[in-house]
Amino acid sequence: MSRDGWRKKASEDDGWGGRGGYMAAKISKLEEQFQKDAPREKQKDGTSSCIFSGVAIYVNGYTDPSADELRRLMMLHGGQFHLYYTRSKTTHIIATNLPNSKIQELKGEKVVRPEWITDSIKAGCQLSYVQYQLYAKQKSLNFTSICARGKQDLSSTNDPFKPNPSHPQSDSIKNGSCSIIEEDAERPRVNGIHDGDDDDACALLPRGSQDTSLTNGYVHPVNGALKPQDSFAEHSPHVVDIGSHQSHLPQTESRDREEPSCSSAGSKSNFHQRSLISTASPAKQPGLHSMQKDLHPKPTSNPGTSAAPQKGNLHDQTRVRLNGSYHMTPNSSNLADSSHQPGRSGKGAEAGVISEFFSHSRLHHISTWRNEFSEYVNALQSRRRAAGGAVFSGKEKLKKLKANCSSGSLMAAPQVRQSCILHVDMDCFFVSVGIRHRPDLIGKPVAVTSNRGPGRVAQRPGSNPQLEFQYYQRKQKQYRKEVPSNGVDLDLAALSMAEIASCSYEARQAGVRNGMFFGRAKQLCPDLQSVPYDFQAYKEVALSMYETLASYTHNIEALSCDEALVDATNLLVELGVTPDDLARAIREDIKEKTGCSASVGMGSNILLARMATRKAKPNGQYFLRSEEVDDFIRDQPVSSLPGVGRSMSSKLTSLRVSTCGDLQQLSISRLQREFGPRTGQMLFRFCRGLYDRPVRSEKERKSVSAEMNYNIRFTQVEEAETFLTNLSMEVQKRLEGAGLRGRRITLKVMVRKPGAPVEPAKYGGHGICDNFARSVSLAQPTDSGQLIAAEAIKLFHAMKLDVKDMRGVGLQVQQLEGSHADPSGQGPSRGRSIKDLLLAKQPAHSPKKDPLAPQGWSSVIRTGVTPPSSPPSTSSDPMPGTSKGGLHHPHTLNHVRTCLNVSIEVPSPSQVDQSVLEALPVDIRKQVEQSWRHREEQPSTSSHLSTPPRTSSSPPPGPSLGTLVLQLPNQLGQPCTTGFILELPDFSQVDPDVFAALPRELQEELCSAYRNKGNTQAHVQAQSSAENVQCPSSSSTDVPETLSKFNPRPVPTLAGAYEFSDIRTLLREWVTTISEPMEEDILQVVKFCTELVEDKDLEKLYLVIKYMKRLMQQSSESVWSMAFDFILDNVQVVVQQTYGSTLKIT
Amino acid sequence: FSSHYFNLQCNMILQKLFKYSLKSIFGYFTMATLTRQDLNFGQVVADILCEFLEVAIHLILYVRDVYPSGIFQKRKKYNVPVQMSCHPDLNQYIQDTLHCVKPLIEKNEAEKVVVVIMDKEHRPVERFVFEISQPPLLSISSETLLSHVEQLLRAIILKISVCDAVLDNNPPGCTFTVLVHTREAATRNMEKVQVIKDFPWIVADEQEVHMEEAKLIPLKTMTSDILKMQLYVEEKTQKT
Repeated sequence: MSRDGWRKKASEDDGWGGRGGYMAAKISKLEEQFQKDAPREKQKDGTSSCIFSGVAIYVNGYTDPSADELRRLMMLHGGQFHLYYTRSKTTHIIATNLPNSKIQELKGEKVVRPEWITDSIKAGCQLSYVQYQLYAKQKSLNFTSICARGKQDLSSTNDPFKPNPSHPQSDSIKNGSCSIIEEDAERPRVNGIHDGDDDDACALLPRGSQDTSLTNGYVHPVNGALKPQDSFAEHSPHVVDIGSHQSHLPQTESRDREEPSCSSAGSKSNFHQRSLISTASPAKQPGLHSMQKDLHPKPTSNPGTSAAPQKGNLHDQTRVRLNGSYHMTPNSSNLADSSHQPGRSGKGAEAGVISEFFSHSRLHHISTWRNEFSEYVNALQSRRRAAGGAVFSGKEKLKKLKANCSSGSLMAAPQVRQSCILHVDMDCFFVSVGIRHRPDLIGKPVAVTSNRGPGRVAQRPGSNPQLEFQYYQRKQKQYRKEVPSNGVDLDLAALSMAEIASCSYEARQAGVRNGMFFGRAKQLCPDLQSVPYDFQAYKEVALSMYETLASYTHNIEALSCDEALVDATNLLVELGVTPDDLARAIREDIKEKTGCSASVGMGSNILLARMATRKAKPNGQYFLRSEEVDDFIRDQPVSSLPGVGRSMSSKLTSLRVSTCGDLQQLSISRLQREFGPRTGQMLFRFCRGLYDRPVRSEKERKSVSAEMNYNIRFTQVEEAETFLTNLSMEVQKRLEGAGLRGRRITLKVMVRKPGAPVEPAKYGGHGICDNFARSVSLAQPTDSGQLIAAEAIKLFHAMKLDVKDMRGVGLQVQQLEGSHADPSGQGPSRGRSIKDLLLAKQPAHSPKKDPLAPQGWSSVIRTGVTPPSSPPSTSSDPMPGTSKGGLHHPHTLNHVRTCLNVSIEVPSPSQVDQSVLEALPVDIRKQVEQSWRHREEQPSTSSHLSTPPRTSSSPPPGPSLGTLVLQLPNQLGQPCTTGFILELPDFSQVDPDVFAALPRELQEELCSAYRNKGNTQAHVQAQSSAENVQCPSSSSTDVPETLSKFNPRPVPTLAGAYEFSDIRTLLREWVTTISEPMEEDILQVVKFCTELVEDKDLEKLYLVIKYMKRLMQQSSESVWSMAFDFILDNVQVVVQQTYGSTLKIT
Repeated sequence: FSSHYFNLQCNMILQKLFKYSLKSIFGYFTMATLTRQDLNFGQVVADILCEFLEVAIHLILYVRDVYPSGIFQKRKKYNVPVQMSCHPDLNQYIQDTLHCVKPLIEKNEAEKVVVVIMDKEHRPVERFVFEISQPPLLSISSETLLSHVEQLLRAIILKISVCDAVLDNNPPGCTFTVLVHTREAATRNMEKVQVIKDFPWIVADEQEVHMEEAKLIPLKTMTSDILKMQLYVEEKTQKT
């Protein structure tokens, strides 16, 4: 969550507010873009008109047609589309649904249903919007609710400002300024002019009145009450609607107090302004400049104030009373003030903020591209499958090139078939895209960021950056003795906190880092040039990069918009080129097509490829040969390992581990103790360069979530609820987009840490927070936003939080399954099983495997193919090619178009059809024969070697007796998940169920392989490097004799838990949360107990049984007692068989 | 597995009580400095295990009231109090027995060491089974490892000293015997190597090995790098 602040810099308040502010610049830029795009769009569509000239819409929340579509329509028909709401310029708000708080805030606006636009276009002229109004009785609603609201504000808003009661008077100014900065953004031009000289304000009048007249053009009698105001506003720069002035009132009153002369009408506003400035300037503000900026919008509300009494309606009385109480709580005005600014997401509570937030958060946008590109790759593959073959232009080219100079530089194909993964990564993607048409910036330090100014901003009141920095520093200190050099800088407070999305290598040399705040970077590197985001270009470049890659092979995994993995194993074999040649060709291609450089790292697995890329950068390539792996990886910092983030690396530092070499010194048990079994195992393998995930083009989604921790400032519980509802809708949208439903809903909340400043250093950021999460499981998977919202609100109430301290909210939906009910029943729709419980406990980072169906494993065993690798779907995926029974025969294997190495048992010669053997490719045949010969040479001396089903994963590298490692040519187009993996999978990835289902011999063997891996690292290394050296003789000689005796068994686990305490927790959860145990769970427990017996761990068995007895017989449900009896009976049978007597259960 | 059962009969009749110095048995192991070069790991494990079994057998005999408590003395082993018989013949018998067990353990050929307690009619009423399995690759790396093993052994000892809580009382006049379950063909060599003269192994009677209507009570399981052992008791349902 903490990283999320990152993306949300859209509304970053930067240092050059003096010229209108970032928002102003942005809005005007957006307008420009719109103007620019309009003609193009018109050209494209052909049907254009000017129906909507003079209309400027702002789309709020979900609409049909979508905001984008509306934008296009407005382009076509002469209208304006505002991405940000500006009261002065936006004429209509388009929405289909607004929550109450929103309605209360949008007073004089014309809130219109989108049909207005579509119908107008149909009719060919602009229809009256009246009948399309969303709320016909806007008017009456407004007033009553306003009053109620004002009161609420007063009563509820005292707290946030308590921390600074010492300057009650200046407070109001300070706080006021806080909110008014926002207003600046809305009225950039106004401010721009105002800034220079107050007298210039007159120059505004024409413009202001113009706007107003435009607005008035559409004022309908229903809104009649606005009229006096509107006309009044002719005198003043801004239209002030009743709603806003109502809520402005308290503040204005306070002004009046301070400066009696101010209570004059708007015509005096110039004077007014000046006087205000003079009074306010002694206040402790950073500078007069910002002061001025802050203050001058205030007078604009004054006309409203004076207008209100003119109306002399009932509400005045209320107001007066309000004002009375107001003086006691001077700060509340601020709240009221800021809350009526719908254009900005002043509060998370506003509807549409969420979808707006996500549709505008640009980095969020980019992060979704990865899915897009994954889909793109998938689409390519499926198209190819459908077409039965594709033309790989790049591949062809390379082939030709090779043919041309086959005698020359390109060497003959290396005969060893070695898996080779290419990791293609664009060099500082954002920067190189940003400057590809700006040659003047090449070679200069460049950063992509939203900030283009000097990198300084005024410190906002209520914030305490120093404290926050100290906090983070302290946090780091927990692990590290010395504080990194870029720690606290007292001046930092004044620096821009726009983060740098990407910076060029030149900038990196100066110490600038991605994610650094721009202000800080500017200090480090004064020459730093900033380049704006260019999202269109990013997409184009990324797409052409993927196109380039796809012209070679379709074995691509999209990692992000500028990063992809390519499994080139088969490509290399087919083309007969070296990896370096291929990489060069790809890089040249990319450079040519995109104008940006890419780096390529190559290695025998994904991990190594990625690490090689680090070495390759910038603009280079590096092939990490398997024989160099050891030396290479030893010097790599641990932080370069995937999954080792900031917190883990600081933890490692505390263990005095900084490089992978150091990490190799730690035993696996130590690592597992420190980091938990899975992560420990992962680290243990990673630091040895072991990684067995194949390149996969399709990725299963684990969860769908929406999170927002920017600008969350609730004042009331209802707001939070509304927000949750909206967030749920966003989640629903995403679930629908992904075609998924989930069963588990997690609500994550960031709450201001007690003692942390109310206002964080970053504007709208979340500051120092505590994170809380709660989750609930539903009976049925859902994608309904309402349902999710209901659950989320329940969870929210259960957390009993102070809404005012909430700084971030996230909703996550897990346990996903396809929304089209899966007939195969793969989803856990049958109810909650033990595994779900476990899953919920440990948010698995390695995919959870489906246990092979019983019939699945039996046939697998018969054929001698180990299912160790667990690509989960072997049994469940309806892949036609992988008939499990057919694998024992090399011939059939050939049909199984897996793109991975397959290891199978070679049947004895007598069982092989000679004709089939002859039909095999020469090299495969040789291997088969060789393995026979080998088998004859060494009669099975030990039980170990004669165990019938040989696995792919035995410790001796390469083919050991009776086993043959076949490497089949890569058959593209078959998802790799169906393959059988040669390398031993991560132990943590071995599904205990599958494991338990294996025959004993296999289990023992696997286990010994794992043990061996742990014990003799050299072997592992040998394995990884010798994996592709296909000389069977090299392997078996050095295997210690002891191995044959070596048959430790796996520790029996219950759904992954093996510590008694874990098992106990699991059982307790199982028994207490579920009213009726499922049969498969019971069987699971029985199996576990049986394993315990076989593992000769009667003590644990005894404890487990006794614990279950206590639990289950206590349970009110009689089914549990029955379940226990069933389990006990089964266990007793096993014990009886093994020990000749039964357990004594008292 | 075709296991053979051997049995050492013990026809001890208590006649005299002697003091017995235990120094030679207890505590010689901890003094030794272990280095990879000069120690056979199998031997080390066998030493540790036999030492433990000796303590355990003494304690079992005490806890299960096989012999009058008067012949036992309190000692400290594994940092916990244990009871040790002072009867020289009994001690000699136990020592000799374990001496014969040791070569088997060294070669990892003993699967179970069973202390059988029998009633007057020589029908077993309780069987304390030490089920042993050793990992094939032995490695002793440091002192910490041994202290870890000591902790585990201590836990078993403590379990034994409280096991009477879960067991029924034995009938009076019990005797005991030690059985060894060997793995595979370990017996072949055993005849050749007689550690102690005139103290041969004999095949156990079926009657002594099997107990009807037995109940199994697991006491403790230990798992360490050098040794995996579990102790359970098989108890006859009706002892009298």
